[in-house]
Formats: sequence, structure tokens, C-alpha cells
Amino acid sequence: MIVVEGTDGSGKSTQLYLLKRWLEIGGYRLHFTEWNSSPLVKSATRRGKQRRLLTPTTFSLLHAADFADRCERQIMPLLQGDYLVLADRYVYTAFARDAARGCPPRWLRNLYRFAPVPDITFYFRAPLDVAVHRILSGRPKLKYYEAGMDLGLSYDRSESFRLFQARILEEYDKMVDSDNFVVLDGTLPVNKLQKQMRDIVASKIDLKRFAPHAPEWSKDA
Amino acid sequence: MPEHERDKEKEKAATPASTSPGDPAASAAAAPLSVPGATKVVAPTEEDTAQHFFGEPLVGFDPSEITGSLIVIEGMDGSGRSTQITLLQEWLESEGFAVQTSGLRRSNLVGRDIDQLLAKNAVTRLTLSLMYATDFFDQVEHRILPALRAGTVVLADRFVFTLIARGVVRGINRDYIGGLYAMALRPHLTFWLNVRPETAFAREFKKAQAISYWEAGRDMSLSHDLYWSFIRYQTMIKREFEVMAKRHNFIELDGEASVSAVNKQLRQRIGERLGIRATKYTPSSALAHLWR
Repeated sequence: MIVVEGTDGSGKSTQLYLLKRWLEIGGYRLHFTEWNSSPLVKSATRRGKQRRLLTPTTFSLLHAADFADRCERQIMPLLQGDYLVLADRYVYTAFARDAARGCPPRWLRNLYRFAPVPDITFYFRAPLDVAVHRILSGRPKLKYYEAGMDLGLSYDRSESFRLFQARILEEYDKMVDSDNFVVLDGTLPVNKLQKQMRDIVASKIDLKRFAPHAPEWSKDA
Repeated sequence: MPEHERDKEKEKAATPASTSPGDPAASAAAAPLSVPGATKVVAPTEEDTAQHFFGEPLVGFDPSEITGSLIVIEGMDGSGRSTQITLLQEWLESEGFAVQTSGLRRSNLVGRDIDQLLAKNAVTRLTLSLMYATDFFDQVEHRILPALRAGTVVLADRFVFTLIARGVVRGINRDYIGGLYAMALRPHLTFWLNVRPETAFAREFKKAQAISYWEAGRDMSLSHDLYWSFIRYQTMIKREFEVMAKRHNFIELDGEASVSAVNKQLRQRIGERLGIRATKYTPSSALAHLWR
């Protein structure tokens, strides 16, 4: 299991996409999963966001329900069945984001203790200004919860986003040692970063295990 | 990583919450509360936390604002919970108390989503537990706490105890689910209407001429026979309740006694708490049919 983590705008999704393409082209068995993507709780999340019903606690629980659904129905069975699982954000996103919202860290750790521990967790670290600029320049309007407006940090969405991201960054940094993050510099050129990532994956994971089985006919040829 | 190593890693990563509703020695070791910014928030002290919660304080909670009472009625389907709550509401209102009710799957956030999941039976046990937890905390934050701040008496038709029991009998780790509800409010009074599963079955069947899939624990493959599935499942739940009854000072009432006898005992205990001296009550004509 390979996980990417980092603040919004740290470049993690681009890098995981390129890693996925590399593995797909190589023919490896893999499954890609994204944070907050289970159809099961989609309508509840949407409703909660639209009507601003979500509090730090229910926001956290709803994401945990979403993750539990993906974990029980996809991640766990596929790991058992010798698939590479690539996850764009994992439980560390909840640890960082929900702690930034004020949830007790011990409660959060308990909430996700059913989650399998990844083999590699890449943490894309980009300075706050770089990450915030990447997001603000690319998006016309930040959404309410995305900007952390529910925390009441600032009435200005961009400013609220910045303060919220700073808190999240701080929470991520706390986990580097305790959760064995592989820290990568998110400001490096895309292709250089991808090279580093592929080298680390190749050295830490026995990729042969996930290669396609040779078809019967090829043995005779 | 091989499975056994992964499990070990998981154990290492897990930080068990030391206090929880499932934990007998629920002490008051509170995690420090980091307070969200501009809004006025008072960080609860450890004493407040122990008094109001099972373990952890709820984010943004100010204990000094609580002036109402949280009264929980637990018991299996067919134990007479909803009948008693209807009667208690009328009695309390006649005594001049404002009443708010709550119950499972009644949240605006996910109440209907859970109904749909149950109807489709397309959900795994952990996900369902977490959806119920979401439903529970949404009601705590949007219904129960605002009512308690306004001095209202909240009558809760079931509470975390049912949710914990249901999870535990389905094999979810007791510490895990207890930790989940560590931020749940501690009720001022918890009544347990205890009935035999056989009695509950008879009452439920009489009411609807059917027994629901979930209330019979059919997802647990206990028996193909509906009756035995119901009895076995409810017996397992009941055993969990017996364990929790001691830890959490349940007031156990005989749910097989008459409606009026059970109601009298409820009124006495609630009257003590609320300072209502005379607890005489006869239901209005609208509710007279419930009075057996």
C-alpha cells in the first residue's frame, strides 16, 4: 500500500497519478483510491456541506464512515488479493485536518484504528506560501469547508484558507517521525520528484509480486 | 507487508482511548482541547469533562451553559420505550417543563441515509456503526445540546448504549466503539426497561404482524428461523446491557409490569431530579388508550 499525503497544492495528486501511470503501463495489478469518494456517504456529505450542518465531530465521523466503506469493501480485500493499493490521501489527512478543527487527537487515532498501516507514506512538503498560491491562483472561489470557514478564523475566505492550511501543515509535521513519512520536497520539478518516488517504490516494494501472471501459452513459446 | 506484521503495526499505531463508555474505570483524563479561533469557547476542565462526558470533551463545549436534564430510556423494541416517552412528555409539559425528544436515525444530516442503507442491506458493520455515530453526534450538537442550554428536559429514546451493544455483538472491538462515544454526553438519568426477549417478540409481532430484519439480527446468520434469530440476537444484546447497567448506573425497571406501574416509577425518579414533589398523573383522553 502506497499513500500520498500533504496539504492542498503540495503536488501530491499529480505525483500519484504519474506513479499510477508508470505502474499501469508496467502491467501491475493495482487499485487507486481517493479520500472521500465512497458513493455511500456522498449525499450526506453534500447535504451537510450545502446546509452547513457539519461540525468538527460530524465532519470527522462522516469521513470515517466513508473510509470504513472503502476499507472494508475495497482496500482490505484487494490487499489480501495481492494488489498494489495507491491512496490519494489516507487517515493522516483526517489526523491533520480534524485535529486542526479541534478534535481530540486521541479520539481521532482511535476512530481510524481499523485502517491498515501503509508500506510507504509519501509526504509532499511545500512551503505554505507556495501551496496556498497554487490553490488560490487556480480556483475562482474556495468552498466554505475547504477554506475552513467553519472555524471562524477570518471572514475573508483566502485568509481563512491560509490560516487553516498553516494549522494542517503543523499537524502533518508532527507525524513525520511517529508515522514514518517519507518527506519529499514539493517545490522540485515534477519529473525529478517522480524519479525519486519511483526509485523509492522500486527499492521498498517487491514489485514482482504484483506483476501479471505469465499466460499459459507464453511458456510453450 | 505480511498480514501478521501488518496487524502488529496496527496495534502499535492504535492509541486506545483510556476512557470510554465501555470502560469500567472511566476516569477523567481529558485530552487538551485545542480551541477553534474567533468564537467564544471555554475549555472544559477535567472535572467538567468527567461530569458531562464519558471520556473526551466535545469540541467547542461550554459546560456552564447546561441547565436542562438529559434523561435516557433504553430497552429493546417491545419494551415500551416510546409509550413511556409519550406519557412522560405529557406529564412534564403539564408540570410546566419544556421537553425535547431524540432517538436513533432522527438527525437531519444522515437519518434518511441510514434508513436507505438498512433498506438496501448494502452496508458493512463498521460503516453502519460510523453512520449511526454521525447521526448520534449530529443530534447531540444540533438538537440535544441546544435544548439542554435552554433548560429543556431531553427525553432520549435510546442512546449510545444500544449503539455500543449492537456493535459489540457484531464483533466490533469494545474499546474501539467505546472510544468512539467518549465524547458523548453523560445522561443525568438512564432507565433500562428490561423485558424478556420472548415478551418483546410477542408485543412486536402483535403490533406489526411482522418482525424487522435488523431487530431480529438477521444479518448475523444466527438462525433461519425468525423467532429463534430474534431471541438469540436480543439475548446477546441483553447480556451487553447487563454489563453496562452496573458500570453506568442504569435504573433498571421491569418492562413487563403494567404501563401505569412503570410510568409511576419513572415519574418518581424524574420528579426527584427535577424537584417535582407531587408526581400524580393520569393521561389525558388523547393518551388514555396507552394506559394499561
